[in-house]
Amino acid sequence: MSRSFFQYIAVAAVVFLTSPALFAIDTSGIEDIAIQEGGRKKPFLVFAHETLLGMTGKSSFSKDGRSLNAIFTVTSIWLAPKGWENEPLILINNQKFKSQVGLNPRKKLFAYRELAESGALRTALNEVSNLRSKNPRASLDIIQREVSNIGMRLALFEGLVSGNLVTLLPTAAAAWSPLPTEDPALIELRRGLLQNNQGAFNRGLELLRSEQASEEVRFQADPAKIAIEVAYQKIHPFRWAWILYLVAGILLITIPGSAGYILGWIFSGAGFLLQVSGFVLRILISGRAPVTNMYESVVWVAFGTILFALIFEAIYRSRYFLLGAVPVAVASLILADTQPVILNSAINPLVPVLADNFWLTTHVLSITLSYGAFALALGVGHIILGKTIFGSKASPALNNYLYRTLQVGVLLLAVGTLLGGVWANYSWGRFWDWDPKETWALIALLVYLFLLHGRIAGKWAGFGMAVGAVLAFQSIIMAWYGVNFILGVGLHSYGFGSGGLPGAVAFVSVEFLFVAIAVFRHRFLARKAATA
Amino acid sequence: MAWSHLRLSALPQQGGVLTKNNPLTPAARRALVESRKRASLGWRIIHWLGSLQLALVLLSTIAIACAAATIAESEFSTKIAQTYIYKAPWFLVWLGVLCINLFSVTLTRWPWEKKHVGFIITHYGIITLLVGAMIGLHTGFEGNVTLHKDKPPLRKVTVNRSIIQVESPTDTALYVMPFDASVARPSIKSPRVFDVPGTQLRIVADDFSDNLRKEETLAQSSKGGPGVLLRFTSPRMAQIVDMPLVLESDSPTEKDFFGLANIVLQRDPPMKTEATPPETQMVFGRFAPVVQGSNIPTGVAVSLSQDGRKVTISTADATSATYLREEIMRKPLAAAGSLVTVEDYWPDFEMRDGRPTTKSGDPNNPAALVRIQSSSGDGKPALVLSPKGNGISYQLQRSGKSYANGVAEKGDSFALGWADWEAELIESLPMAEITTFLKPGLPLPEGEVGIPGFRAKLTSNETSNVPSRWVPSGEITTLTDGKNVVRIGYGLELRPVPFSIRLVDFEVPRYEGTETPSNFIASVEFQDAATGELKTGTARMNHPASFPGTILANITGINYKFSQAEWNPRDLDETTLQVLYDPGWLFKWLGSLLVCVGISIMFYLKPKSTPRPS
Repeated sequence: MSRSFFQYIAVAAVVFLTSPALFAIDTSGIEDIAIQEGGRKKPFLVFAHETLLGMTGKSSFSKDGRSLNAIFTVTSIWLAPKGWENEPLILINNQKFKSQVGLNPRKKLFAYRELAESGALRTALNEVSNLRSKNPRASLDIIQREVSNIGMRLALFEGLVSGNLVTLLPTAAAAWSPLPTEDPALIELRRGLLQNNQGAFNRGLELLRSEQASEEVRFQADPAKIAIEVAYQKIHPFRWAWILYLVAGILLITIPGSAGYILGWIFSGAGFLLQVSGFVLRILISGRAPVTNMYESVVWVAFGTILFALIFEAIYRSRYFLLGAVPVAVASLILADTQPVILNSAINPLVPVLADNFWLTTHVLSITLSYGAFALALGVGHIILGKTIFGSKASPALNNYLYRTLQVGVLLLAVGTLLGGVWANYSWGRFWDWDPKETWALIALLVYLFLLHGRIAGKWAGFGMAVGAVLAFQSIIMAWYGVNFILGVGLHSYGFGSGGLPGAVAFVSVEFLFVAIAVFRHRFLARKAATA
Repeated sequence: MAWSHLRLSALPQQGGVLTKNNPLTPAARRALVESRKRASLGWRIIHWLGSLQLALVLLSTIAIACAAATIAESEFSTKIAQTYIYKAPWFLVWLGVLCINLFSVTLTRWPWEKKHVGFIITHYGIITLLVGAMIGLHTGFEGNVTLHKDKPPLRKVTVNRSIIQVESPTDTALYVMPFDASVARPSIKSPRVFDVPGTQLRIVADDFSDNLRKEETLAQSSKGGPGVLLRFTSPRMAQIVDMPLVLESDSPTEKDFFGLANIVLQRDPPMKTEATPPETQMVFGRFAPVVQGSNIPTGVAVSLSQDGRKVTISTADATSATYLREEIMRKPLAAAGSLVTVEDYWPDFEMRDGRPTTKSGDPNNPAALVRIQSSSGDGKPALVLSPKGNGISYQLQRSGKSYANGVAEKGDSFALGWADWEAELIESLPMAEITTFLKPGLPLPEGEVGIPGFRAKLTSNETSNVPSRWVPSGEITTLTDGKNVVRIGYGLELRPVPFSIRLVDFEVPRYEGTETPSNFIASVEFQDAATGELKTGTARMNHPASFPGTILANITGINYKFSQAEWNPRDLDETTLQVLYDPGWLFKWLGSLLVCVGISIMFYLKPKSTPRPS
């Protein structure tokens, strides 16, 4: 909240100093007006945020060096579209595609007019829509997925300009309607915006509220839900959570003894409670378990990692669990907070097969919690490897912690995968059909079982288990990210997305490099010990 | 179980009792294992089969094979991954070895103690699960059924398995065999041979296509009107298209040419329509050309070599082509959307009495009269044909104006002025009909589905060199070797079920304000074929409808389950349900339960035998 607040102050200051006449009006009063969009009713604040993010990939827009917030930008495109067609609002990521259609590959954002005039882009859009209309389940390659995304971004812009997207009137349960052109509220709002007349804008809002209230009650949005969602949107619980976790981690490292440990507990506990409240709000808004897309699962895995770390800390009173969990949780939450295009935080309707809270809670929660446990094992494994690199040896207790963590993960992954089979038997008719997501969950399970059985066979122990915990996590990366973002086939298609591949490859490469260095150091130390 | 047999062969006498009070010390256990391995080959084998080394090999190879399969699936297709890995015999054998390993390892822990409970439950759970999978694979089936509200009840479901059906010529009995040509891909090099039961005949499949196309050709007939077969070629697009046309009645036959043009066959010669004014040029080998009547500058330049033997046509986009003049006289040539015709030629040009003549046969002053006819303009062009003697007369039109016409005999070709397309008259028959045949088309672009099929012929020891036919999926094809006739069918297997199913209602509720479905609800009615008893069911997402659907049936999986699979956004009275019959179901969920319980016991309820490191 602080960030956006300071941004707001900064924007207000700049606006006030440079051109007091322009953008002098405060549009934020529209934030809690209900709108029906994307299959549910939501506050205008969320609509504006999602729409701007959907078009530009950013949550604010900078015009003439000034940063405009989502509400102002979206309201302005909707009410005063003139000129916006020349503003760079449409995000295109794929460099290869940009060169293909003759757009500047170094630019990220393009004006609607520029894209509308590109024949090559239009051809590409037609091709993809033809492909989709012939076979709605045709699997699209990376370029085609990008084209389809561009199509959706253009449609968002068109929907705002035409006003068809802004369905504000609860005229029927099935579909609300946009404001008619001669609507007095619309006229006042537009007048307010165009003439920088705050009074007219506020009057427009009042008119709009009374127009909404005059429709049938059963079609209207639940004001409590709208208020909750406005609060959720403004509080940023997951952002505060990672800040608190980060503080906890720093305190744990810098302050030795029980003082640091207690402070670490307090801050990570506070972050954990914030995450819990964030999930509670999200569940109240969406009415379902918060693990239905990549964004939610990343946040959930961070939560699971901290959860297991706190449980183990409560049992063993070591600081290694928190030290192992904090970097993983902070990294995941920062990723979720800063990569809104790859990890979309919007609450969207579910495909029918997922709309079952029992299975969603049991199967998906146990699978993602197992990822959390393995992520904790990854963190603890890093500590052991790090100790090796710095020339010290991990204690037997630390090795045991790693083993305990791996056990939790294996149990949850086995349970989750089998529950998935039972669910699949119910919804798709078969227990197991080697769907890529199923198969990779099994592969990850086999990899961890290999690790545990090798330990029983005496092939490896403490250090080897740490190496294994880090390497085996790469199979989780594949099952979690790779199947959805790289393979892109199979029945679990509702989680599919694109982007982030360079980051994932970099992560995996760094992990392998880290392991290689640790193994090298380990060999060196062992040889030195043997000769000594 | 295989149990008793093992107990008979080699159980050591000492201390093999499961007691709470005297668990074996690790050392005593090691000694026991060593002694029984020395004493009996059976125990040696069990300890080898149940070894951790074998377990590690199995775990790693299965994981690697699965990873390879997912990549194969992403790169190629699900079918490839299934045929070569998931459902390949070696993989099933490997899973069998895994079962043996899991079972043997529990024996190696004999005598069992309390600490082994979780371990044994887990490992037997996995075996139970795999046994359930095997039972399901061999006695159950997966299929689908497409139901429509207005259609009568169905008694058969389509199984996701390709088969070949052969009707024996001796007893007309039907023989069925699983065969998926898209995976086996028969070729000349590795043909697939099927014996026709009860005969010496064999069906040899020796080619495959996933995109069979019905093509038309012209055939002689005793009745029917005059017909022509035209072959259109475009060298630039490397395309050859055959088009047969038959005049059935007095009204003209019209066909569309890729949306590019219309081809019309009519009884009467094409009407003289207003001609597009041509551009004519008198081209001299040694002087600049004389241009006449050019109101449409075509940008086409024609030049004649000094000896008058060669003609070069160059277009505005700087491409040029040189021809031997003698070969192209009075033949229209396509050049940049125009037709160029060398109408006349004089080796030693001279104007006499206002008419061009030649002074001698020597190329002293070669000159050619060239007509350049632009075929560009608005409107779709048309090729209008009418039978004339053994050939045809044709006229090329655009916007109702003719821009070229001529006569063609069999084997003649002429330019059309549509890009670089040319037409050749392949056949012209006074009485003809159009017959269809199958031909493999070009490979389909990704995501599109064509009609798959294989090429087959009927052979026996006596016959050779019999013609092949394409056998498409979903149709019955008749094969003959000249003497015998065998009918074969290829496609997905239809399996009868002991009841009929009818769609009563189908609903697709949507998320508010969108077209996104929030559920699919199919109300169906089953009728038992034996008793005639009626039963209704509802298949919703995550809630299948089942028949007979009793509690016992649901637990054991001796039950037909119908779950929502596909829907047709264009016809909301139609839905496709997935059908599952899985007698292995009981073992699967029991096995799953055992594994979950077993791991929990193993990790968290184990008696604390090993002291926790502090």
